[in-house]
Amino acid sequence: MNDTVRQFRDFFVSLRLTVVLLALSMILVFAATLDQVNLGIWAVQEKYFHSLFVLWRIPGTAIPLPVFPGGYLIGGFLLVNLVAAHVYRFKLTWRKSGIFLTHAGLILLLVGELLSGLWQEEFQLQLREGETKTYAESYRYNELAIIDTTDPQFDDVVVIPETLLADSTPIQHPKLPFRVVTKEYYPNAALRLRAGTGENPSLATAGIGPQITATPLPLTYKQDERNWPAAFVELAGPEGSLGIWLVSPQLQAPQTFDYGGRTWRIGMRPQRAYKPFSLTLLKTTHDVYLGTDIPKNFASRLRLTTPDGRDDREVLIYMNNPLRYAGLTFYQYQMDGEHAMSVLQVVRNPSWRLPYISCAMITLGLIVQFCIHLSGFIGKRRASAAYPPARP
Amino acid sequence: MRHRHALLPLVLLTLLTACREAKVESYRVPKEKPEELPPAMAAGASAPAVPGGADMAGTAVPTADGSDLTWTAPAHWKAKPAAAMRKGSFTVPGENGAEADLSITAFPGDVGGELANLNRWRGQIQLAPLSDGDLPGATTRIEQHGLTFVVVDFVNTDAAGPRRILGAIVPYNNATWFFKLSGPAALVAKEKPAFLAFLQTISAPAPSAP
Repeated sequence: MNDTVRQFRDFFVSLRLTVVLLALSMILVFAATLDQVNLGIWAVQEKYFHSLFVLWRIPGTAIPLPVFPGGYLIGGFLLVNLVAAHVYRFKLTWRKSGIFLTHAGLILLLVGELLSGLWQEEFQLQLREGETKTYAESYRYNELAIIDTTDPQFDDVVVIPETLLADSTPIQHPKLPFRVVTKEYYPNAALRLRAGTGENPSLATAGIGPQITATPLPLTYKQDERNWPAAFVELAGPEGSLGIWLVSPQLQAPQTFDYGGRTWRIGMRPQRAYKPFSLTLLKTTHDVYLGTDIPKNFASRLRLTTPDGRDDREVLIYMNNPLRYAGLTFYQYQMDGEHAMSVLQVVRNPSWRLPYISCAMITLGLIVQFCIHLSGFIGKRRASAAYPPARP
Repeated sequence: MRHRHALLPLVLLTLLTACREAKVESYRVPKEKPEELPPAMAAGASAPAVPGGADMAGTAVPTADGSDLTWTAPAHWKAKPAAAMRKGSFTVPGENGAEADLSITAFPGDVGGELANLNRWRGQIQLAPLSDGDLPGATTRIEQHGLTFVVVDFVNTDAAGPRRILGAIVPYNNATWFFKLSGPAALVAKEKPAFLAFLQTISAPAPSAP
């Protein structure tokens, strides 16, 4: 083994690294907690924990500088450190089995957090009584949907995530006979009807856009608020521009146009996740305590149907009684009894069991280690009682 | 070479974090109706009658984020197909074919603030903008049903056809709602009591989140 490799190994198995990483993680958690006031919980999670580095933008520029290790980096190094120390330093013996189990639980906890960060998805499903949906919608992310609605049976949909729109790079997709070019993008904007004369002309040339003014707003990071993006999007065919459309999730009216002998619909909407089954809201129940507005029970009775007919049944979702189906968990989230509308939270987290398993392993490991020490201690006491030291 | 095993998680970690890149996707779905528009925005929608035989028309629409303000409009106001962006829209008929327009819109945030929005309305009837100091004199604040209404009455009598705007701004649920009656000055003046009565019917639903 040459010196470089040895140094590398010594670095990753050292206890000093563990201490430094734990100290860094404490600083990270402290800074993130303080920054939650400015950014809110979602942005803080992304910036501090679901990243390799905490980035800081040089004021006045878009250049990001890494200023501190992020959660993934610290967690990743901790994981490597822990595994490396075990592989290199510890020997599996019965007397240390508790310590091993505890550390294995800790490793599983770190891996579980990483997988949750990477795989967990949260969507919502908003239904009115009688309405059927085959998709859930994102709380925070949006997408530009360009839909070929010509076929009377099907819609051919091309979706462009908001992050790609923000890039302003022209997008050409094989299913679209035109390029999509973002002329202007506002991550948060207020829309209002144009007052008439005296305002600068709109960038939009087609659809509803020319009648509307989009004013950029500062991003909001509050947990109970959301950003409403808006973009001016140009569609350009081989013979030139087809027009510039204003798109925003706030614009509910569909904007359609004809091109190449086909009919298209364009709009920005909350990001959708289509499912291989459909849910129909049959009935909402919204009980309150008598004489008050305090909610007592929210329940949604739904019909769950798969296209192949394997499932066609009624399900009841109410508080603390979610529906688990196809790797998804549907929780009763909000209810508007007056308008017979129910909102379900749809969560996919394949690794949701890992924190429970790891905590159980850590607890069991500590108990085992304690018992091993206790039995050793009792054994020693018995031995010394059986053979008391000779008195002078 | 046991250290190589130890490096594996780091490589995996880097690879895993790199695989969340957004990309353009395409798929085919069974025909969907476009999102249902709120009742007042649907073409040709007429406001449904209130159960119980009241002679007022009731309309309720969702705000941008799904929760509602509700109101009841006077029976002689005619619900009309609203332009996009409107939460509600009514034609207020007057004598000799005169018409005023009642619009209800809602936008997230404070939409630039009270002063900017009031000055926007003033600009629409060719009135000079107000300054911050003019606000208290030009506005009336009404508290009802847990909502704060900033009510204004702007009139331009200098123009050839005098115009008037009766408006109310209501912050609600992290959005700002605008109720605006605009039209010929005489008609809007005549409708002022009906407009103020209409404002009194506006309310927020009881909170229902668990």
